[in-house]
Amino acid sequence: MKTGFRLQRNPAKIIRESQIKSYNKDIKYIANPKIQFKYMNFYNHVIVWRGFIHTITFRRMMMRIQLVLLSLFLIIQIHANDLKAQRLTLNANQMSLENVLKEVTKQTAYDFLYNPDLLIKHAVPVTLSQINKPLEDVLEYIFKGQPRLTYTVDQKTVIIRPKKETATPISTTNTATLQAVIRGRVINEQSEPMSDVTVQFQGTTRGTKTNEQGLYDIEIIGNNTTLVFSYVGYTTEEVSIAGKQEINVVLKIQDANLDEVVVVGYGTQKRSDVTGAIVSIRPQELENMPYSNVVQSLQGKLPGVNITNTGTSAEGDTRLRVRAQNSINADAGPLIVLDGIQFEGFLSEISPNDIESIEVLKDASSAAIYGARGANGVMLITTKRGLAGKTRIALESMFSTSNIINRPDMMDATQFYNFKQQRMGFVSSFEEQQYQNGVNTDWLDYATQTGFKQDHNLSISGGAEKTKFFIAGNASRTDGVARNDVYNRYALRINMDTEITPWLTFGTASTIGYYDRPGEGANISNASRMNPLTAPYDEDGNLNFQPNPDDLNIVSPLEGLNIQKEDVARRILTNNYIQVDFPFVEGLSFKTLTGYNYRTRLIEQYSSASNTLRGSQVGGSATVNNQNREEWSIENILSYTRDFGPHNIFLTGVYTARAYETKFHDNSGVGFPGDHMSYYQFRLATTLTPSDQYTKESSLSQMFRANYSYDSRYLFTFTVRRDGFSAFGANNKYSVFPSAAVGWNMERESFMQSLTWLNRSKLRLSLGESGNQAISAYSSMPTMANQYYLDNAGDPLIGFYPNQLADPTLSWETTRQLNIGWDFALLKNRLSGTVDAYFSNTRSLLLNKQIPQINGVTTIRQNIGQTKSNGIEVALSSINVQSDNFSWQTNANFTYAKNEIVDVGLFDEAGNPLDNVASSWFIGKPIGVIYTYGFDGIWQETDDILNSHMPTARPGDVRVKDYNNDGAITVEDRHIIGQNFPKYTIGFTNTFAYRDLSLSFFIYASQGATRYTEHMNTYFNGSTTIRQREWWTPENKINTYPANRDDSNPYGLNYFGKTNDASFIRLSDISLAYKLPLSITNKIHVDRLELFTNVKNVLTLTRYIGMDPEYESDFGIPQIRTFLFGARIGF
Amino acid sequence: MKTYAYKLFILLTLTVLLVGCSDSFLDEVAKDETYADNLYTDLNGFKLAKNALLHFPRQERMEPIQSAELGVIWKIGTDIGWANTELSWTRGLNQYTTADLNGMMQFLNGDTEGRPGIFLILYRCISSANLLIARSDNPEVDWQGGNEVENEANKNEMVAHARLIRAWAYRHLVMTFGPVPINTTEITGENYRDDWQRDPVESIQALIEEDLLFAEQWLPDNSNDVARLSKAIAQHYLAELYLWQNKPEQAEAKARAVVDNPNYRLITERYGVRRNEPGCAFMDQFYDGNILPSQGNTEALWVFPNSDVDNILGAYGNTMRRTWVSAYNNRNIEYSPEYGGRGIGRAAITAWVFSIYESSDDRFSEHAIRKSYVDRDGNTIMCHMSASQMTTNNHIWASTRKWDWTYDNPSRYGESYSYADQTYLRLADTYLLLAEALHMQGNNSESNGAAFFINQVRQRANATPVSTGDVTLDYILDERARELVTEEPRRETLMRTGKLIERTRLYNPIASGQRDGGTGIQSFHTLLPFPQRIIDANTGHPLKQNPGYN
Repeated sequence: MKTGFRLQRNPAKIIRESQIKSYNKDIKYIANPKIQFKYMNFYNHVIVWRGFIHTITFRRMMMRIQLVLLSLFLIIQIHANDLKAQRLTLNANQMSLENVLKEVTKQTAYDFLYNPDLLIKHAVPVTLSQINKPLEDVLEYIFKGQPRLTYTVDQKTVIIRPKKETATPISTTNTATLQAVIRGRVINEQSEPMSDVTVQFQGTTRGTKTNEQGLYDIEIIGNNTTLVFSYVGYTTEEVSIAGKQEINVVLKIQDANLDEVVVVGYGTQKRSDVTGAIVSIRPQELENMPYSNVVQSLQGKLPGVNITNTGTSAEGDTRLRVRAQNSINADAGPLIVLDGIQFEGFLSEISPNDIESIEVLKDASSAAIYGARGANGVMLITTKRGLAGKTRIALESMFSTSNIINRPDMMDATQFYNFKQQRMGFVSSFEEQQYQNGVNTDWLDYATQTGFKQDHNLSISGGAEKTKFFIAGNASRTDGVARNDVYNRYALRINMDTEITPWLTFGTASTIGYYDRPGEGANISNASRMNPLTAPYDEDGNLNFQPNPDDLNIVSPLEGLNIQKEDVARRILTNNYIQVDFPFVEGLSFKTLTGYNYRTRLIEQYSSASNTLRGSQVGGSATVNNQNREEWSIENILSYTRDFGPHNIFLTGVYTARAYETKFHDNSGVGFPGDHMSYYQFRLATTLTPSDQYTKESSLSQMFRANYSYDSRYLFTFTVRRDGFSAFGANNKYSVFPSAAVGWNMERESFMQSLTWLNRSKLRLSLGESGNQAISAYSSMPTMANQYYLDNAGDPLIGFYPNQLADPTLSWETTRQLNIGWDFALLKNRLSGTVDAYFSNTRSLLLNKQIPQINGVTTIRQNIGQTKSNGIEVALSSINVQSDNFSWQTNANFTYAKNEIVDVGLFDEAGNPLDNVASSWFIGKPIGVIYTYGFDGIWQETDDILNSHMPTARPGDVRVKDYNNDGAITVEDRHIIGQNFPKYTIGFTNTFAYRDLSLSFFIYASQGATRYTEHMNTYFNGSTTIRQREWWTPENKINTYPANRDDSNPYGLNYFGKTNDASFIRLSDISLAYKLPLSITNKIHVDRLELFTNVKNVLTLTRYIGMDPEYESDFGIPQIRTFLFGARIGF
Repeated sequence: MKTYAYKLFILLTLTVLLVGCSDSFLDEVAKDETYADNLYTDLNGFKLAKNALLHFPRQERMEPIQSAELGVIWKIGTDIGWANTELSWTRGLNQYTTADLNGMMQFLNGDTEGRPGIFLILYRCISSANLLIARSDNPEVDWQGGNEVENEANKNEMVAHARLIRAWAYRHLVMTFGPVPINTTEITGENYRDDWQRDPVESIQALIEEDLLFAEQWLPDNSNDVARLSKAIAQHYLAELYLWQNKPEQAEAKARAVVDNPNYRLITERYGVRRNEPGCAFMDQFYDGNILPSQGNTEALWVFPNSDVDNILGAYGNTMRRTWVSAYNNRNIEYSPEYGGRGIGRAAITAWVFSIYESSDDRFSEHAIRKSYVDRDGNTIMCHMSASQMTTNNHIWASTRKWDWTYDNPSRYGESYSYADQTYLRLADTYLLLAEALHMQGNNSESNGAAFFINQVRQRANATPVSTGDVTLDYILDERARELVTEEPRRETLMRTGKLIERTRLYNPIASGQRDGGTGIQSFHTLLPFPQRIIDANTGHPLKQNPGYN
């Protein structure tokens, strides 16, 4: 800190400040709404005098100051030379000063900064003739003739200002009040003025806000010493006012740092005041690694948030989990809250560019405010809001191409022919003929293509003093790698906030979306099963819709290309609020937030009798799906926040109600007189099969939260929520979820001052309960299923039978979690991070308990059993190199999670919990284990088979591990051979920046999961199981896979050791971005111009031999590699 | 502005209060679902429940698991059937290999994709029947009769259907697995059990008898309505049960009741849709269009209706032809209606069955057995029928034509399933039960004893009559094979008569172990293994696996 003072006292610095001051005098009268203003490029940096400097800000400042100092010396040296070196030729006859200056700009690298009104008022036309003169001389000449104007030069900018004697400077008339008024300007890192920034004296509520130009003035009253500049989503700056008249501030967008403001649900808090385990990210940080679906881009970026890319469709398929899975059966995905309102449905329908921030509430204390929905974590998505001031336009466009990598290894025609001969002793006459004719079809080739995507985003934001807006349009079109797999998204977002009265604010965050999924994609799953001896097209080039005469029901994978289909979803999502800031009670406000979400999807499809198999068999087949979802919610939030000296209290009460209703009315018809009316001829169908579906869920909740902090040093949070949910049993609809947390900001303690290596340290401890209500409507009701019969005339007889047992006491799962966290910054903030450890117990699990089928069903959903889990999450951020031109930053995170089953509602007579083998639930073992026979190699000719535990085996058979060593294979030899979920995951991002060029790469690793792969399926049905495998033969005595016989794998093993180990390390993303320097962007009058390129899925290291270690199915679209190019421009 | 804001504030406050005051806000009404409570309120609701019950027996001829009729488990691995295509689970019954025939078998347990196995289908059927029976006791039910007597009759006819079908399910269970748990009560989310015990065979037989007697009392003598079962079915199964219990007099009485029922007669003359085409009376009763009683079929006791109208509710994919006809397409032979449509030869009739017909027997004529094909090039390919040709994937193995059926549309000749009506239980079967009952009492007479009734069946098929002296239990079992092959759940018949091991070893060179050199069928194989999944899930009480199985 002392060093900081010295540095700021540096003579060079003083020179700098004097420049600023002179500049700011100009600003004073630029408070004109019509102002046009160009900024000096050096103004990117905070130049302030500070008495008290926040540690982290101070650290950043230090770096900046160093930069500034360095550049200043250069500037000063270049300065004089440069003005002389730049030469120009000018001829003018009574030309306006403005035009003369424009001419100078054209010929030199210099810009002019001026208020146009000033020129209109004071400029005198110029006449001159200067040939190849240094700029210095030309300028001097020009301004000699200007009685009221003078100029100064700063770097490459010439600032024009009035001459002292002609201006009406406040500084002269108001000398007495100089100390009493402070003026200044607040800008963001893009040098754009920021309006509505709160400027307050520290420790008071007295203050003002900046205007559209980012300007403010404030009268000093009393003995206030420090000004605080704050704006939601930006760093808060505290500046000492001692001896200053002008304070200019650059507010930075929050990064994953301790000063940021985080959305905590029903409000925001400063990161330093947060007591729970909350991770947050701003998608802008990932903007050079874009994905269609925002969840995809979060993989490996947030510790404790586990994202699996489960497929490669045009929309992006993901599975999202927060922390260890506690739930055995119930849906384990987190609650998604979009702009304060619960969001249901497709995350791919949210435009990633609209998102301002994403917060994930991980621990029970922070998630408990969402009560019965919080146990799996809560993801809060906040969209961008407008900023008052200059209207900003940003355009971003991206283009990408994708190609399949890691194709599954399929048999070609010869391999298939030989394999089938060997396995089954025959090939069909058709196969023989095709083989002789040399047919060899790689169906995946026909079913896939190079994917292409374009994505365009245009946003306009800005606003005046009382109304701010953010309007964004998104258009994206994705052609997936599966042919005809298309997803088009068109969305318009309007976010607006307006102050109706000083105490009443209205705001909206609304989207209208049109989501188009036209066409039926090629069926990759079928393509991965097609006999290579079949041909996709006939001699005339028409689709063979019965490609295999041996089995006329085999559908061509390309049939979808002939299906006529429209599939459009339309969504209106509007979240609106009214906020009342009670004028009579300071700090008290009431907010009503309403959400309304209406989504309709209409899917129309026709398979014609002439060119599809389905249609040809039934005389044309049409289906229509009408899906309507409507959801409303209302949240009433009463909050009170106030400082009493060092005490701060923040109270929040919430009353909320929500209802969600879906209505589906579908129809399908077959047997039409002709094809030309496609799906508009249901009335002509021979058979119509309509179906309908209705669900409604409703919930009612109350929540109260109290936050108290003393000196921002000791932090306390207490919350309680009461939730009611319709799907629970009639007598069990309500429950209460309490939680409490404490935090200690150690850096505010005096002893921390002596620990120079430790810049920040905060300890957090929380304990709370949250619920998982994730059961669907009617789960507690014993519904009946249909089963039909026919009468003599062949007309349907409707029948019902019981297919669900229901427990009327059904309720939510409850998770109790203890979280211990440490946030820290070391080594002058070069290394910062967070460590969280947690311990959870979940009881009253919603289990689909396997019960004997003697009960008429296989399962019943009940609240039984317990699990416990624990985990460690570490996030580290390190600035490895930071110099003028080059920086290297590393972000790494590590997630370890482990769960185990405590009981599943079964106990022996002594009360000890029992396994439920039928469900593969084992006490003390993780959820989701694979319980089966163990692979123990292959029986070889040299083995003593007769005297082994498998005396009837033959060489080449799978050797099953005799796990209990009883000399025989029995069901007792089944054991746990692996688990479905990884034990730990690691995300690792490195970013290198050299001047305006930045390069980053992201590595993701996942360890410990075991996954099935079709490659290990020894079964062969004669046609569709066509993965190429290496089989045991007497000549090739491998120990990994059995002989090519139907009976070589008698116990039907699917897991063969290492080849099923789905651990992997993946170089997921490399991106390169170039930001055009301001010297260029200024010339072309844009604020920002960036080009970026990105490669996804560069390299994967794994022993898993299936399609992809992350994929749920081995029959989906193979993994793809994407090359992306994009540009963004801002005005 | 202030008034406006004030009004807004009032409005918001009101909204909050209104929402908060709504007591029923969290009540659930599933508008699109049916529950027992709102179904079993009147006769109509009970009929809807009965319709679903009627479908369970049809599932025996569907293929929930591994593309063969579920009932194939009672047919292969016996004297009459073998697995032409050896999948892991059919191999278990085909060859009686330890590794494949065990409690893990999918067709007992259900498969990994949630498709039900035999156990779930049968117990689901029992649960559905129990629910109907239990709900019939509710005095509030409107039985829609004109008076008490009609009400009682309406109620009892519904219950009789439920009890008949429940008896059908327990019959399969006890004959397949031996002792199984009995449940006769309505199962709910509150009283379900996981501590089931296996009840003795005698108790299950008693339950079946009680159910069938009730059904006999309350079902009609005769029904031309496929959705209304007749008492003849109950009597047929009673006859079989009494034979199993070694009560031949009682068996005789029940079988006679069916045989003497004037509404049922053996088909002895040509009739129906193909009566003018070459053929025989025996086969006429297997052609779609001839199956229903209303279409002139007097021999059928129980028929399964079907419909080839696409997508119609109530139609079901019958897999009998697919299971039993060979995959002849592999031999350059085109799918055609003449060849019955597409077969995939999961199962096949043993060479022994083909060997026990006389040449005059209609049941072995070209109308009843596929003996040759003509391929695309015009070559005639003779089918295989000899024991040495019982090799896996024999695509030209001779097959029964009882299940031949395919669509008229040539592009659908190769479709998987059959949508033809089919007979499930025939009077000829009852005749042979009656013969067996008489034989057990020592009456093999050609005029009124076992030989008489056997000859009714034989003469219809133009087979030489059997003489009194030739009637033995084995002869009756042979005759059952000749008449009922692929229809009869053969394993159950042989289990009931104690002949499974002996006859399978004699007549099935694969199941005996002869072909592949294994040990083949053992005495413990009389019962199939108890499903492991049930053992695993029955955590409250350990269930024992059937002896001999791991």
